[in-house]
Amino acid sequence: MADPSRTFIPTLYYRDPIAAIRWLEQAFGFELNALVTDNQGRVGHSEMSYRGAVLSVHPEFSSPELLGPAQLKSPLSLAGASNQFVRVAVESDIDAHCERAREAGAHITAEPADQFYGERIYRALDPEGHIWVFAQPTQTLTFEEMEKATGLKFATSLDEVGS
Amino acid sequence: MSDPKRPSLTSGVCYRDPKAALTWLEAAFGFEPVMVVVNADGTIGHSEMRFGDGLIYVGREWDEDHKSPASLGGKNTQSINVRLDEGMDAHCERARAAGAVITREPVDQFYGDRTYVAVDPEGHIWSFSQTIQVMTTEEMAEAGDREIRTRL
Repeated sequence: MADPSRTFIPTLYYRDPIAAIRWLEQAFGFELNALVTDNQGRVGHSEMSYRGAVLSVHPEFSSPELLGPAQLKSPLSLAGASNQFVRVAVESDIDAHCERAREAGAHITAEPADQFYGERIYRALDPEGHIWVFAQPTQTLTFEEMEKATGLKFATSLDEVGS
Repeated sequence: MSDPKRPSLTSGVCYRDPKAALTWLEAAFGFEPVMVVVNADGTIGHSEMRFGDGLIYVGREWDEDHKSPASLGGKNTQSINVRLDEGMDAHCERARAAGAVITREPVDQFYGDRTYVAVDPEGHIWSFSQTIQVMTTEEMAEAGDREIRTRL
């Protein structure tokens, strides 16, 4: 079941946001909801959706006045490093989703595989190096079942694990 | 992790010290931890926080490509916009009191939102938005002297 939560909206920074929007439509099946351009045709803001949830694609940006020393950069400008990634919940046939992405030029860094936590996932890099994780639920597991499978401790707070 | 009601899109946020981040994000922004997975050595393997109906992952620097802004000279390749239903100015004061650097004070925007921008202790940029006036796409385009469309 898709949860179209819009409380947290990821914003991804690209050197070429128009090319990124086109690629995300083609490779991952995202839909463009809104594209805001200024009077010189530059992208100011955009919103894309996937199964009801939204994200934004923006150009690189820096402004000491608005952001202080922080800068918004494509992974291309940081030798492939990212400070965040996006996890996408795929409803069905994640293997076909992966093939479509590969065909569009995604770099598949982990092929689709079943995980101990009840999901089948694959990982991919887009053309500018943003990290994407695609996940399809395969079964519902309790904390106890996952602890038994891994030997890890699953808790609902730091207090509970004595940290 | 296999809860079928997970959001269609979830951001994973990388920290040098995810334990400190969990505590700070709760104190500053009011996010609530809902899952903490601890490795045998006591470090955090994975954790999840909820705010309203939203979910984020808080994790460590897994490899050379997953880095905290603290390891990237303050640069962000992704950031998160958080929607608030109400109480933006009080939210900003709570964040400031917890040590957030407010790079943009709460201000009304032409597109009908009130927004502020905060940087957390490791340099992740968080923007907060609250709708103060519901506007049509045409009204926003007119107010901002911008073109808004739904196709390339």
